[in-house]
Amino acid sequence: MTEQPPGNSRFSITRRDLLWCLAGGAAMGFGLHHLLRQAGQRQAEVFIAKAADYRLDLGSIITRGLQELGVSAEEVRGKKILLKPNLVEVSPGHAHINTHPLVVLGALEAFRRLGAAEILVGEGPGHVTDTQMVIEETGLQEVLFENRTRFVDLNYDSLFPLPNRTGFSTQSRLVFPATLRQVDWVVSLAKLKTHHWAGVTLSMKNLFGVMPGSVYGWPKNVLHVSGLNQSIVDINAALTPHFAIVDGITGMQGDGPIMGDPIQSGVLVMGRSLPAVDATCCRIMGIDPQRIDYLRVADRIIGPIQERNIAQRGEPIADVFTRFALCDDIPAQKILL
Amino acid sequence: MAALPQPPLVYADAVPALLQARQADGGFAETPGGDYRPDATAWATLCLDSFQLYPELSAAARGRLSAGQQPDGGIPLSADYPEAFWPTAAAAMALQGSPQFAAAHDRAVGFLLATTGQHSPREDDSPLGHDPSIPGWPWIADTHSWVEPTAMAIRALTLAGHSAHPRVQSGVKMLLDRQLPDGGWNYGNTTVYGKTLNPMPAATGVALWSLAGLAEADKVAPSLDLIARELPKLRTPLSLGWALSGLTDWRIETGDARALITDCLQRQQKFGPYGTSRLALLLIAASRSGAGNPRS
Repeated sequence: MTEQPPGNSRFSITRRDLLWCLAGGAAMGFGLHHLLRQAGQRQAEVFIAKAADYRLDLGSIITRGLQELGVSAEEVRGKKILLKPNLVEVSPGHAHINTHPLVVLGALEAFRRLGAAEILVGEGPGHVTDTQMVIEETGLQEVLFENRTRFVDLNYDSLFPLPNRTGFSTQSRLVFPATLRQVDWVVSLAKLKTHHWAGVTLSMKNLFGVMPGSVYGWPKNVLHVSGLNQSIVDINAALTPHFAIVDGITGMQGDGPIMGDPIQSGVLVMGRSLPAVDATCCRIMGIDPQRIDYLRVADRIIGPIQERNIAQRGEPIADVFTRFALCDDIPAQKILL
Repeated sequence: MAALPQPPLVYADAVPALLQARQADGGFAETPGGDYRPDATAWATLCLDSFQLYPELSAAARGRLSAGQQPDGGIPLSADYPEAFWPTAAAAMALQGSPQFAAAHDRAVGFLLATTGQHSPREDDSPLGHDPSIPGWPWIADTHSWVEPTAMAIRALTLAGHSAHPRVQSGVKMLLDRQLPDGGWNYGNTTVYGKTLNPMPAATGVALWSLAGLAEADKVAPSLDLIARELPKLRTPLSLGWALSGLTDWRIETGDARALITDCLQRQQKFGPYGTSRLALLLIAASRSGAGNPRS
């Protein structure tokens, strides 16, 4: 997302993170303590699939990934699922800005095969108030119509607040769209992209899109003013999303998340742990996930990012490795070089 | 009510659809059965007024807007989210002209005049192309000023007779500063790290609508050209509505606006009903462009 530069420097989150560790979570109470204990116990599995083209049977590829990751029909049957693609804005010739509609279709098919009772697609684009234009011009509107799937504009939904239990950003509460309270699973359907403020935007950063524009504005400037990286961690810790699928069939390199160039990376990356999925994506892109501020903090409180704590299923990283170009004149990317 | 002029046949179904989101207390939701929304209420009121329909419903809607006004004059999304005060400008326009709500209108105008975003001096090494020091209006308290809320505030204040006010003049300056080099506006960034960002039809339309009568035509000529070129491709009520409103107020020919509006309305049969604000904006644009004027 392209807005103002984030309000806090990358060093402030590290300082706060250290303070958290030193304090053992006592200063912010049970929530962070609990998360730290959970994260310490957790190992994660991530599935990598080769997918050279959007015309492949993506539903079957995603179904295989769900199976490999132990997502069973028993677990999904009867559940209401929200698929949250990354839809930012539309620009002719820049389809690689957004999650491809055929990846959304593939996820729809896969969760339907597992017996989901209802699947919704929802997004609150950060750059445009005309959400309908985005879903129409990306081609998603037709996919949803043909598959009788309801779209929820999360920017204009009813609202409910949750306390900011991790408290890394300066917000005391986080306000979510009511739809998130009505679903059993939230699936982040992200895009594999570099980002000029955060370094990368993957399944965790994609959840900025659930934060309603009616309370966070267009762009979601509140989240930047209160700390970009901190907000990513806070939102993920509060929301506890259930699954991630990253569309890396065509990714974006360079000056992402809007102005970068397309890159054919030919992968779909999936998992239950969003930090582990994002760390794996980084390794595929040739980026050290430990250098991404929000991933480093997420490793301690949400899910693992270290290679030894992630069991890779499907293709090995080496077989899909595609080095993404980074810009040395963009500070958030220069530190990744 | 029976004596009031009726909209032309093509819009006959649209106005009752708008009323389906009306609530018992006179306010409107974005969708039938949804929560009260001041923005939906303001746009529905302005839409009914533009067609001179159901004045008693407009009065009730104004009453609901007024009931949500905060002591500082702002009319936020709700009392639970006072920082989300962006509906105030639309509400001020809806309250304008009604003697019964003149005081509420004045308080809303006072709020707009007293409110701005976070601004900072321009820095040589900033990655941003725009001048962040020029005061405009934000969506949300304690954040930067952006294009759409600034355009809305300018228009509300201009209608209230404050076009010469320094805040309006600085708002105009801010919008012109945020205009993209090749024309058009997006949410409010021009270039970032040297790359020119993309224009968006809705932001371009609303910016032009607010600048009509306040900026010289040559200052916005590329934007007028851009939105006129884009107009025939627009299919969604928000972008089409704002594009028509912007062009109409600059007295630019909108071609067969009636066909575009009709097509846009008919798309609801396939993709589902539009939200109150979007539908109302489209119908207001129809009315103002002449395409929906019962007397045209």
